[in-house]
This record gives sequence, structure tokens and C-alpha cells, in this order.
Amino acid sequence: MSDSMIESSAQRLFSENVDKALLEKFEAGERPERLWQLVEDSGFPVALAAESAGGIGETWSAAYPILRGIGYWQVPLPLSETMIAAMLLSMAGVDVPPGPITLVEQGCGNDLAAREESGALRLSGTARRVPWARACRWMLVSLADARLALVDLADDAGVKVTHRPSHAGEPIDDVELRGARALALAASPLPALARPVWTLGAVARSAMMVGALEFVLEQSVQYANDRVQFGRPIGKNQAIQQQLALLAGDVGAARVSALIACEDAPSSTASACAATAFSAAVAKIRCGESATRATSIGHQVHGAIGFTYEHQLQFATRRLWAWRESFGSDGWWAQRLGEAAIGARSAAFWPSMTQRRFDGLDAALR
Amino acid sequence: MQALNISPCTLPPECEALRAEVREFLAQTMPAYPVTKRVRNWQGRDADFSRRLGERGWIGMTWPRRYGGRERSSLERYVVLEELLAAGAPVGAHWIAERQSALLLMKLSPELLAPRIVPLIAKGECFFCIGMSEPDSGSDLASIRTRAVKTDKGWVVNGRKVWTSGAHVAHYMIALVRTGTSGEQRHAGMSQLMIDMKSPGITVRPIVNQLGEHDFNEVTLDDVLVPHEHLVGTEGDGWKQVSGELAFERSGPERYLSSTQLLLEMIDASDPADARQAVAIGRIAASYATLRQMSMGVAGMLARGENPATAAALVKDQGALVEQAMPDIANDLFGGVAAPGSDLDYVMQYTAKAVPSFSLRGGTREILRGILAKGMGLR
Repeated sequence: MSDSMIESSAQRLFSENVDKALLEKFEAGERPERLWQLVEDSGFPVALAAESAGGIGETWSAAYPILRGIGYWQVPLPLSETMIAAMLLSMAGVDVPPGPITLVEQGCGNDLAAREESGALRLSGTARRVPWARACRWMLVSLADARLALVDLADDAGVKVTHRPSHAGEPIDDVELRGARALALAASPLPALARPVWTLGAVARSAMMVGALEFVLEQSVQYANDRVQFGRPIGKNQAIQQQLALLAGDVGAARVSALIACEDAPSSTASACAATAFSAAVAKIRCGESATRATSIGHQVHGAIGFTYEHQLQFATRRLWAWRESFGSDGWWAQRLGEAAIGARSAAFWPSMTQRRFDGLDAALR
Repeated sequence: MQALNISPCTLPPECEALRAEVREFLAQTMPAYPVTKRVRNWQGRDADFSRRLGERGWIGMTWPRRYGGRERSSLERYVVLEELLAAGAPVGAHWIAERQSALLLMKLSPELLAPRIVPLIAKGECFFCIGMSEPDSGSDLASIRTRAVKTDKGWVVNGRKVWTSGAHVAHYMIALVRTGTSGEQRHAGMSQLMIDMKSPGITVRPIVNQLGEHDFNEVTLDDVLVPHEHLVGTEGDGWKQVSGELAFERSGPERYLSSTQLLLEMIDASDPADARQAVAIGRIAASYATLRQMSMGVAGMLARGENPATAAALVKDQGALVEQAMPDIANDLFGGVAAPGSDLDYVMQYTAKAVPSFSLRGGTREILRGILAKGMGLR
């Protein structure tokens, strides 16, 4: 599939099948089964998975339009999570199970512990804020010892999922594991990445935030041009123009950071990840900061109508609030990136910028 | 909204070889260059440094050979610029001549002025200043009153320019002057002239800035005679020409790298285990990495021959926000506790006083955001 084919098929599929009515039904509790089927038929869940395992074997840059599209159209599916899981499993030589798969990084927002017992690995502890857990049959756990474990969430004896909604009404559930057995266990295909699931999750959230940010910007400009007060469109006021220009700057910066993070992310065909953690950190920080300011400006420009459930703005802004804190907030990543930058001292700062790599970042993430 | 999109651009391998050369050059040329001078960044002037840079072929490196250039790519030039700026090298003497004036001369006076002047700029021996603002004309350039009248002997110029950086060391000024009546259109009737700063009738008076430094000047032009062939471009097209020039003024990496020395001092004063310091430094590092990619994206647009005016305004506005936040962050972390007389203390004081100008020079924040609003179809 060529890059532009992915872009046009994502645009077509999402724009034709995701609308306000679907989002309202989703938030009322209806699962968008048909939408998942369409997405699966299009091959998106395995876009990043290795070709040898039946995937499409795309790069993150090529798959960017799908991730961006999840944000722009507010697609209520565990798609980015499944894309990452399928990529990692296929690269590790594990069969990718059908259906949606969620993700957990051991030690990031959980106290999961693993123990070997009669030849099997068993996991215990509680993982919080697990995206889409209730909608997923499978959960991929990235273990701190650079192994991947696949858990069957339908294992009633060892697994308890407690429903919790995010700002956006999307599931971020508690998953309690009581000696749940890992069905498959493999070495991480990306041993150079300290926190593979967390890091790639941050890249995906960044790209998704860019989509939502672009939606907020477009809606806000449109509204400023349409809404007339004092006899002219409110967008003719310099006060509004200045705010929208600031918003545009934040969207432009976020977009560039996410595109670079995708460029620096490993794929099934090129697994180098020298700059992956750096660019993921940069993108998650910069997109998170943009989300903070953009939601504020977007709502201010829209006035009262944007505060209603009726208006679609809030489907994007609530996702921005949810995604800026998912897979590490901007503050979380900034602390690690800053720790690495300070540890490297001033002489290493600029060379690290041009290489897109701080040698101490891996250690800061562990 | 497409006008606001900046496509990231990947540097070709030859750029990294060049980067190593520049780092080697800087290590040899300015090994013991003190922080107190590096902090001046591209405001720092050193004619000798400019000449040595010219010898290496790193001034005007993208220009045609006939003008003394090296015909290298915009991206290679970008790499040289970002390395010089990150090191705080004193590039100020030739900066304006290279960034704007030479481009104008090559485009608008390719046979008369450019062959004579541009090779000298490439050698790092000829410096320019820009005469745009006037006492009553800041952001509203269309209201300028300095007037040039065409006579048999040449143009006779009368008027006053202010905020003219480097007029006291420049060999020439490119002045925006009124040559006709504006009539209905405010932007009509303006032209650009290249004026020899040694001409009789020119008085340069320093305007000391709040740092106590002499960078700005007030330049009075009193019956200054300028040869006919020093008209740059077309009579009456001054406004259009200036608009194109400002895109170059706004597009470079100097729009986010001016405060780098403060960041470096903060890094060395910080403790990696201090969460407050780490978060602050991490956020700045993320902004730097992003602005660098945006700035490279603009260089890529220039390399492809696209018009970067809107994108450049966006990068400059974002860059100024980051740079201007830096002294405040430094105050938050180290205000009142930095060792008196230390490099950190000096750089904090210097940068706090310097940054207000970053959203004034080269187009105010409000003007830039107006350009962005226009790019979004709001005006």
C-alpha cells in the first residue's frame, strides 16, 4: 500500500463512517462493532505488522495518516494500541491474535510482577488506566526485562477489569491480574528501546493529538468566520485573530514534532531506534503542551456553543485532555528528557540536539 | 490551512560532514571565547571573524560563483548557520548583508550592483544595515517620510531612520524611501536605494539600548546624493521588494537560538535529580528540538523555491515565545541564588534584558500573528 493510498483510505473510511451520531451512541454505551470490522477489513490494525506475519509492514511515517485520522475524526476504537501490539508481536515472532489488543508497560502506572511457575510466566498486580481494556480480548505486556507477554483478558480466574472512563468517555480501565498466565512469551524485538510500549504509545498519542488539534483549529477558524457579533464576523477582531494565530503556531509545532517522532520510530523492516526515545519524548511533550493551550483557545473562540454537548468541539477537546496524560504526560516525559539533558552537561547539549539522542535518556526511562 | 503546514526535512549525509568541519573550525577559532561574549550571539560583531568565515567559503555559500558564492545547497547553509549560532559565534558584522542585502542585490540589480558588491560580502569584508523604520513609522512601514528626489546628478535623499542596527559599522545601507506619492494605495511610491554610509550628509547617532550597548542608531540623511544606478530594483516597487526581504529576515535559526547560552548555563547549574529543574529543562529541550525541525523545514521550502513567508512568521513567533520564557524560567529556578558574578548570573541578567526585543525586531509579534491570520483566511 502506498503512502497516499493509506492517507486516502483512512480519510474515506473515517469521514464516511465516524460522525457525531456514532460518537453519541458510543458514549451511550454502544460498541462500534461495524466500524471495527471496516477498519479491520482495511488492514489498519496490521499496518505496522511485519509482512511475513500477514501484516502490511508499513513505516510509522506511512501509517501516520491513520493515527492522525483517529484524532481528527475522533475514532472511538483501540486502533493505535492494536497497531503497536501487532507490530511488536509480529516482529517477536509471535502469532498476532485476531481482534483488538491493548498495551501495558510494566512499571509505568502499575505494580505488575512476573514469576515463573512450572514453565509458565504468571503476572500479578494492578495496571491502571489501561486503554480500551474492556473492549480488548488481549493485552500485550512489555516486561522490564525486555520480554513481551500476551495475556488473555477473558481468563476469568486471573483477570478482573474495572471500568473507568477517560475525559473522552473512552475506556481507561483498571486491570487486576491474579497470577494470570502469559499465553505467549518472547524477547522484545526492540531491545535497544528501554520502554518500547510506553515509547511507541507516546508516539501514537502524539500523532492522534495532532489530528484532534487540527480539528480544533479548523473548527475555530470556521466559527470565527461564521459567527457575527457587533455587525461583523468575530474573526475580524484582532483579539480573536491573535489567539487563533497562537493556536495555529501550537498546531504547527505539534505536527512537526509528531512527524519527526514517526520518522524516528522503528518499523518491521528497519528496527534501528537510535533517535526513537528522544523524538517520542519531544513529541509527547510538545503535543501535550499544544493540547493544553489549544483546548483553551478553541473553547474561548467558540463561546458558549462550544461548551455544549451538542457541539462537536468537545469530542476533540476531551480527547486532547485524555491523550495528553496517556502514555506519560508532557511533565512525565519532560522530567526524563531534562534529567538526561542535565546529566549530559552543557557540552553535550547541542550535539545531542543534532543527533536527536541523549545518551542518558534510556537510563532515565528505566 | 495548508499555508501553515511545515514539512519536516531530512538533511542529506553531506550536511553532517560539513557540520563536523564547522565544529572543528569553531573549536580552533574561538576555543577560549568567553560566555559573556557568546551570549551576544548574532548581535556580536567581529570583523576579523567575519573575514575568516568568508575565507572558509561559509558566507553566501548558496550564491552563484560569479558573485563569490560556492553554489551549495540551502540545507548546507542551514547547518553552518545553526552551528555558528549554537556556539554563540560573533556573526553580527556580516549577518544582515548575507541574510538580506546580498539576496536583494543579486535579484534586483544582477548586472550593476551585485557583481561589484556581493563578492565583497561573501569575503566577509562588506557590511550592511537596513533603513526601514523611522521615528513615526515602526510596524506601519507604509507611512515612511524619508524622501528621495531624482535629479540629474542622482537621487537626493532627506529624512531620518531609527532603530538601524549596525549603522555605525556598516559600509552601506539599503534604505526604503518615498520616491513618489502614495495616492490611493498606501503602499505605492516607495523604492529601495543602496546608500554608501560614507556619503556626505549622513549623520549616525547611537541609541544605547537597555543593555547599555550600542547596536541601534538614528541615521539622519541631509541632502545625501545617491548615484542613479544605486536604485535597487524598480522605482515604486519598494513595498513589494521589502515584503519578500522580510521573509528572509524571519526564516532563519537565529529566531530560536539567540538565548542558547542561558540554556547551557542552566543545564550546568541544574541537578538531574531535582524534578523541578529537570521538568523545566526537558520542556525547553523539547521546544528546541521542535523549533529546529520547523526551522529546517523552512530551509527546505527555500531549497525547493517555495515562498516561506507564512511559515517563517509562524516559526519566528513560536521561537520568540520560547526564548522570551527562558529568563523567566531561569528566574524561577535560580533567581536570587545564582552565585553573584558567575557566568549564570551574568547570562541571566543579560538575557532578561535582551529578550523583549525578540518579538519586536524583524516584525512584531502582533504583525506576525496578523500574517498568520491572513494565512488562515481571517483577513
